[in-house]
Amino acid sequence: MTYTGSCACGAITLSITGEVIASRQCWCRQCQQIASGGPTNNATFPTENVRIDGDVASGTFTAASGSTVTQAFCPKCGVHLYGQSSARPHLLSVRLGALDERHGIEPTMAIWTDDAPDWALIDPKLENVARQPAPPKMD
Amino acid sequence: MPHTGQCFCGQVRYTISSEPVGARTCWCRDCQYIASGSATNNVLFPEDAVTFSGQIGRIEKIADSGNRVERGFCPKCGSQLYSRTIEPAGAVIRIRMGTLDDTELMAPQNVIWTDSAPSWAVIDPDLPQFPKGPK
Repeated sequence: MTYTGSCACGAITLSITGEVIASRQCWCRQCQQIASGGPTNNATFPTENVRIDGDVASGTFTAASGSTVTQAFCPKCGVHLYGQSSARPHLLSVRLGALDERHGIEPTMAIWTDDAPDWALIDPKLENVARQPAPPKMD
Repeated sequence: MPHTGQCFCGQVRYTISSEPVGARTCWCRDCQYIASGSATNNVLFPEDAVTFSGQIGRIEKIADSGNRVERGFCPKCGSQLYSRTIEPAGAVIRIRMGTLDDTELMAPQNVIWTDSAPSWAVIDPDLPQFPKGPK
């Protein structure tokens, strides 16, 4: 498979080859801050399969899981592009909103649902993990 | 009591001196970019009630509604803070709900731009829905 994407203003473009390793929706408090009150939705790929063109801004923070996480975003429009954990530098979790439409990727697991607000609607079909799940498995 | 909020890294903070006048969820394509594939959830306030401190990144755009809007974000962590309408004047400011210290201050009361939502989106059937912008 090949996926393409960009930020909202187009300053950054993404090109991804290969299959999705995991597709998760994260309700941790930090993700709610990033994602305007909802969860982030993330498709995880091997880092080596993701090509990023353009100057990305990033911040490094301690996540709810305790790992150090790098959040990358476009400095011109602020749109988040991916997150990457210090515990798993070989993986990169691309924000679903930054992928071009018709990518066909849907969240299959909702994580950190303990942090979700009372008004949150979480698809009962998704695997639901109250806090940090096990890391995604690579074949 | 003023309401307060901040971005993810705390570089930008704000206080709001009024009560919210509404809250809504927006599934327009721009909002999905902003919200990592989710809808944005926004609490609405009179614009002059909100006071920001810290450095804010700003981008202007013609939204799907046709309005000229400014979206503000933290240049250090990329958290989206608000959307406000430049043209036409007089609209309420939309504060991104995740940046409020109290994310339960007001739950979304309606859902807009549902035509753009992905097939897997979960939309509360009890809330009024608008396929495009609100009337």
